[in-house]
Amino acid sequence: MATPAFTFTPSTFQKLHPAEFFRRFTTEGVRPDGRLLDAFRPTTVHHGVISTANGSAMVRIGGTTVVCGVKAEVAEPKLDAPDQGYLVPNVELSPMCSSKFRPGPPSEQAQAVSEAINRVLKESKVLDLKDLCIEEGKAVWVLYVDAVCVAYDGNIFDAALAAIMAALNNVRIRKPTYQEGTIKVSGGSTATDENSFTLKLARTPLSATFAIFDTTLTILADPNVTEETISDGQISIALDETGQLCGVTKIGAASCSQSAMKDCVQSAKKRTQQLRNIMNQQ
Amino acid sequence: MSRLDRTRTSAHQLRPFFSSQNLLNRADGSAQFDFGESSVMCSVIGPAEVKLRDEKLDKATLEVVVRPLVGLPGIKDKAREQAIRETLEPLVLSGLHPRTGIQIVVQTMKDDGSILATAFNATILALLDAGIPLKSILGAVTCIVDSETNQILLDPTTQELANAKSTHTFVFDNKSSITSSPENKDQEEAVEVATLYSDSTGLFSEEEYFECAQICYKAVQAVHGFIRTAVQKKLEKEQQQIHS
Repeated sequence: MATPAFTFTPSTFQKLHPAEFFRRFTTEGVRPDGRLLDAFRPTTVHHGVISTANGSAMVRIGGTTVVCGVKAEVAEPKLDAPDQGYLVPNVELSPMCSSKFRPGPPSEQAQAVSEAINRVLKESKVLDLKDLCIEEGKAVWVLYVDAVCVAYDGNIFDAALAAIMAALNNVRIRKPTYQEGTIKVSGGSTATDENSFTLKLARTPLSATFAIFDTTLTILADPNVTEETISDGQISIALDETGQLCGVTKIGAASCSQSAMKDCVQSAKKRTQQLRNIMNQQ
Repeated sequence: MSRLDRTRTSAHQLRPFFSSQNLLNRADGSAQFDFGESSVMCSVIGPAEVKLRDEKLDKATLEVVVRPLVGLPGIKDKAREQAIRETLEPLVLSGLHPRTGIQIVVQTMKDDGSILATAFNATILALLDAGIPLKSILGAVTCIVDSETNQILLDPTTQELANAKSTHTFVFDNKSSITSSPENKDQEEAVEVATLYSDSTGLFSEEEYFECAQICYKAVQAVHGFIRTAVQKKLEKEQQQIHS
């Protein structure tokens, strides 16, 4: 047999045929970064990283790092819910975290992730918004939850949701004092249990995301940025601490069988339990 | 039982369908699809010229724009754009039209719940009207788990959605449809459903999720049948006009 006319180094092959290069690994049950198909990257969670915010956290999943800060402000309540405060979550994907994001208005991906997290927080009733009421119809607490990605290596949804839940867990808001129609919030001495309150979270939803690669619909847990680019679809599963599902999304790629979805749910249960242990340790 | 909209008697009943095709004369394809009082119109222009930076060498570029019922588009509409585009990518035979663009615009006309499912159905009808080559068609339906009765209700209205413990939207393609035959009607066995798109929010168990998938899968067969009939009738009418 004649030797091939061209031979490539692995890195050249990866650039010319990224999907084929990847396929050589997945058929053996591994990925180029050495992980098995169902392995998640090492994750760390740090609480209270921003001292000037009411609550904050930083989550690292592999190379993806998200810093989340929560700021509480007094505002007028929405007209259709005069006794409830509200949350304003926002996920920011700026050129700072990766060259694939251009400067300007939020990209479609950032908006879609923000909306997905907003829905999980709202529909799974993470917080009783009536707890954020100061005076019905006049003043409520609004929590601006900003998750900023500082390094992007795929799987922003898991990292952002974990950072937001960790930040909400350590939020401390000064108790307001009332003085003849005006609300005063002292900024002075350190926050103690007497002059401040924490949020009562009904549940802590955490998620696990999987990429769907190739016509064989191979499921890859916790995709990094190269795996995200060559994958056709994604499955995200969010669970709370009791094992109840808080969100399931399957988007892109050809039709996935129920057994594949069931496997993802089982894998997500293990992963979110692992994430909870990491969050509670640190 | 009587549903909140009082026109339906069963939990697994869909609202009456309505569709209309070829409504817009400046678009290559257009369609309107209704689930009861929810109505979405979709227009398709393509394969057409695409900006150089969006051009793909071997495929057509799909662009989806979702416009809400009122106001300016927000992040909810951006999320819907991503959902519709990612779901259509594997269905459209974009390799047949490389370096072109297919622009899909989705406009909500009336909102009475289940808008995303209505939008998916309107989009596939518009793509068929435009003659864009497809691997298969899709059908979408929404269901909820009621917070009081824990019952699974198909195709909820806005009022029913307000009482939902969890909301589920499913999209299925027609590659694995159940063909109705006398033997199948007797056996109510669980079919191995394959989901094209799934979006569920709220609080629900694993069993509830897979049960909703089964129920929606059976309901979507009616949507597929309706799409087939709608396109058939349109073609028959066109044939009559040519020969008359």
